[in-house]
Amino acid sequence: MSSIAKERAQASRAYLKAAVADGGGVRTSTSLLLLDSVAAIGFAAGLAGGVVAVPHGVGAMLPWVLLAGVSASGRGACAMLAAHVGAGGAYRAKTWLRRRIVEAALHRAPGSDATTGTLMSAAVDEVDAIDGYVARFLPARMAASIAPLIVLAATAVASPIAAAILVATFFPFLAAMILAGGAAADASRRQFVALARLSGLFADRIGALPVVLAFRAEGREAAALGDASEDLARRTMQVLRIAFLSSGALEFFAALSVALVAVYAGFNLLGLLPFPVPETLDLGRAFFVLALAPEFYAPMRRLASAYHDRQAAETAAERLADVESAKAAPPPAVPVWSGVAPTIRFDSVSIRYDGQDCAAVSDLSFEAYPGMIVALIGPSGSGKSSLLNLLLGIAPLSEGCITICTPSPLPEREGPGVGRLPHYPSSAAKIGQPTPNPSLSGRGEDAVLDLAEIGSIAPIAAWMGQSPLILAGTIGSNIALADPTASAERIAEVARVAGLSPMLLARGGLGAVIDARGSGLSGGERRRIALARALLKPAPVLLLDEPTAHIDADSEARLIEAIARACVRRTTIIATHSARLAAIADVVIDLGERP
Amino acid sequence: MTAFDTLIADERRRQRRGLWRAGGYAAIVATASVVLLGLSGWFITAAAVAGLAGTIAAQGFNYMLPSAGIRLLAILRTAGRYGERLASHDAAFGALARIRPALFLGLARGPSDHALALTQGEATARIVQDVAVVEAQFVRLSAVPGMIAALASGMVLCAFGGWRPAVALVLCLAGLLTFATLLARRLEAPGREVQRATGALKEAFAGVADAAAELRCYGVEAQAMAAVDANSRRLAEAQRAQACAAGWFEFVQAVALGMAGLATLLLAAPSGAPIAALCALAAVMTIDGAGPVLRSLAQRSSEREAVARLNDLLPDITEEGEQTACIVASSIGLLGTHLPPGTRVALVGASGTGKTTLVERLLGLRTVEPGTAFINGHDVATIPLAVRRATFGWAPQDAALLAGTIRDTLALGNPLSDDAVMWKALVDVALADVIEALPNGLDSWIGEHGVRLSGGERRRLALARAYLAPAPWLLLDEPTEGLDADTERRVAGRLSARLARTGQGLIMVSHRPAMVALCDRRIAVAPASDAIVAQPTDTLPQPRRYSRD
Repeated sequence: MSSIAKERAQASRAYLKAAVADGGGVRTSTSLLLLDSVAAIGFAAGLAGGVVAVPHGVGAMLPWVLLAGVSASGRGACAMLAAHVGAGGAYRAKTWLRRRIVEAALHRAPGSDATTGTLMSAAVDEVDAIDGYVARFLPARMAASIAPLIVLAATAVASPIAAAILVATFFPFLAAMILAGGAAADASRRQFVALARLSGLFADRIGALPVVLAFRAEGREAAALGDASEDLARRTMQVLRIAFLSSGALEFFAALSVALVAVYAGFNLLGLLPFPVPETLDLGRAFFVLALAPEFYAPMRRLASAYHDRQAAETAAERLADVESAKAAPPPAVPVWSGVAPTIRFDSVSIRYDGQDCAAVSDLSFEAYPGMIVALIGPSGSGKSSLLNLLLGIAPLSEGCITICTPSPLPEREGPGVGRLPHYPSSAAKIGQPTPNPSLSGRGEDAVLDLAEIGSIAPIAAWMGQSPLILAGTIGSNIALADPTASAERIAEVARVAGLSPMLLARGGLGAVIDARGSGLSGGERRRIALARALLKPAPVLLLDEPTAHIDADSEARLIEAIARACVRRTTIIATHSARLAAIADVVIDLGERP
Repeated sequence: MTAFDTLIADERRRQRRGLWRAGGYAAIVATASVVLLGLSGWFITAAAVAGLAGTIAAQGFNYMLPSAGIRLLAILRTAGRYGERLASHDAAFGALARIRPALFLGLARGPSDHALALTQGEATARIVQDVAVVEAQFVRLSAVPGMIAALASGMVLCAFGGWRPAVALVLCLAGLLTFATLLARRLEAPGREVQRATGALKEAFAGVADAAAELRCYGVEAQAMAAVDANSRRLAEAQRAQACAAGWFEFVQAVALGMAGLATLLLAAPSGAPIAALCALAAVMTIDGAGPVLRSLAQRSSEREAVARLNDLLPDITEEGEQTACIVASSIGLLGTHLPPGTRVALVGASGTGKTTLVERLLGLRTVEPGTAFINGHDVATIPLAVRRATFGWAPQDAALLAGTIRDTLALGNPLSDDAVMWKALVDVALADVIEALPNGLDSWIGEHGVRLSGGERRRLALARAYLAPAPWLLLDEPTEGLDADTERRVAGRLSARLARTGQGLIMVSHRPAMVALCDRRIAVAPASDAIVAQPTDTLPQPRRYSRD
């Protein structure tokens, strides 16, 4: 294995360790597994006692049988409780880790090349992959280092020589495990990688299915996939031949220890041992050590069967660590904003995402003035949404400069095109006119902020996109997300302005409950909720991303009217495909037509 | 029987030799385990009895046979386990290596709406993860022969103690299987809940991740995370319930194991201590031998769910196989315009009016309304897909290259083309010098781990692939988008020359004047002609495609 791969494996192991550090439960679960070994000793003792008591009749056997019966049930209870406790630990570890991953995903650095799809599989499937690691592997590993010693001690009490036999089989076992196990682990790691590559191949071909179909190559591609699969199967079998050797060694020494203990105890009882031993066994002790012998290797067998869990978790940990490392640092400077509509100036702006050869937007310059609507149009992929995301720190500013000029909020500056917010005469006061404001030190002069320094204009922006966020709650609470302090009257007003009245009538008002899936809200209704939010937040900048996509022409016309009202006296930038929506703009910038 | 069931049944038949072998080895392992412990118990106890009876009795005791038997059984068990593992995995991998491509083919040959509506992540998850579940079940097929062999040898050994221990053993095993079956049924509800909760969590996460901008603006990340967290806890809770329910399997097995051992010990007591010991240990190992069957039962509900999902994936109705569709020249009727063979036409119209959708409908990648287009006077809605697709050499808007080499990519257009033809096509897209400069030429690897082509190079490679297709019409969707003016001019000039040489027709979506100038005529795709464009590409409500967006 190359050193890079080894380093990666070590890094993912370290990450995994940290990630499940406060998963808890492992110790309790381990203790239960150790209790299981103790109960196994009880069962062996009960069985041995029962066999010894056979000549004395059933009455003499009963106490021993009772001991064995209770011990057997105890073993079952321990195993079951260990599963329960392990599941509890996995619950805590998974929910905790998932919170971290979701947080990292929502705060990912601008320009990270992670898509919603890869983030989703990290947050859901890869977090789930640590389940078995926490619930089974960790307790099994701790138990495997202690439980054999317990069994050994109990064996030694009855027969030190039998204990010595167990130890004697253990050393060659260890040697075999180090030899075969290392090779097996390496081989199975390669195997894991090969399987991942095959999955990747399937993903690639399914992703490109339209092309495969259009060129009528489905038969050829299926045959190629078949070859790749057969090849993988063949190589896997070669790997397994080695990998199973280590489990074969485990199996062999487990069987050998039983056989050696049985033969030794038998010869000792017969007094026919060819060499002198310092102990003379009786039936009870001999039977006890025989019944206990398989328990010596049982914890290691449990560990071996949980090995796959560890591998799955380590593979997942690698990707989870990537997601967490892509988390954005908090913005360097947090300015205090005024409530006055600013001028946003784009100066030779380029946006280039990580891992992309082409810039999404290159060398774009324009200015959006207060009270003005700028429409960005152009084919899909021409960077309309990227420009809006750029303002919120979600897309990376690769080149150029964006400045936000806030006019001083003095009364004489008010006039056409420059003004306070709609519907909210006291809005500036409400969002807090800062005193003193470091970025607005010279009162009466324009404050100029550089987006590269402040990271985002989110605090002064309202947003309406094509897939609005709908959280479980009521329609009112969903609108109130934009401003939790808003009064009920205010929410009702913006809902009316956004054109939600017919829907509210039908559903029974703002208190109508909606679930996380939106309870059958139509695309237009979701958009109106987003618009109501944008109206509710007293923000001087309004950003709209495809606000009228997915809805029919009539709804679009009505929505455009409402949007036009929302834009009054704000600085508005709209990304759209819709010619009708672009028609309300003062300036239209076609990103597709640019050279 | 569904298509997937048939597939599985076929593979079982094909792999039956391997499966029989695995079953045979499993039987050897189970028998060896039962006899090993039973014989050991008998040996020790009998030795003790003989030892107590005095030296003569001890020397008269035949110890050679049992002690040799014990060692032999230990070796037999180990070898058997190794053989079983190899045979069952061999059969499973052999079967699965065929099931995955068959699923892919089934998906591809099924109704295209069905196949293309699946998100890439979902389809891959099914083909990889669900098939892995089926594979694990394949490996466990040897569990039942193992259990039967364990029971048979256990009964034979118990029979030394009379019929009572043997019956008791059977009853214990039957009771265990009954309980385990009931438990398996109890696992179904948590299993389904896990599926549902996973779906809900993914949906909640996607909803929140897609609304990143909104979250920033309103500063509601905490609420969004809380909403995802609620779903996360729901899923974890369902998984915990599932794990706890599965924990009961361990409990019933341990109890059955103890009961079987003790009941046979007590019932065989009249036959003397050595036989009682034999029966008790044999019974314990018989129940132990049922372990793989119990594990298989514990997985039954998840296996059923996986099979159900794979059944959904593989539609019952499939298009008839590949037909040799050879069309020399054909005329096209498109949006009421007749296009004789060799015509060059540009589809123009504002973005979002459905030009790409129209292209995809021609290719049968989307359902098409009757009356949209005609090939040689036949409505495309009635023409077999193979013929429709053979009519066009398509260069899609997103270059959509497959992972592989340049040669693989070009061979997709025409698997029969030789190097000279490929180089000619590369020259025609002004890419030959770029590929020549690569260390391995046509065999250079493109994609994630190889030479990275720029966006414009990918697009031109996709264009070369379309050129190679032996089709009477080229169907190019924004072929020069993102190219600089100079390259575009070269591509346009060579395309024109190529068309003149091959006599192919051209249907092209483009905004670029240099390209539109190549065409004899233009067809405006306007939102007004609603049959085609009422729902433009990006406004068609379709399931989210997560991976390639």
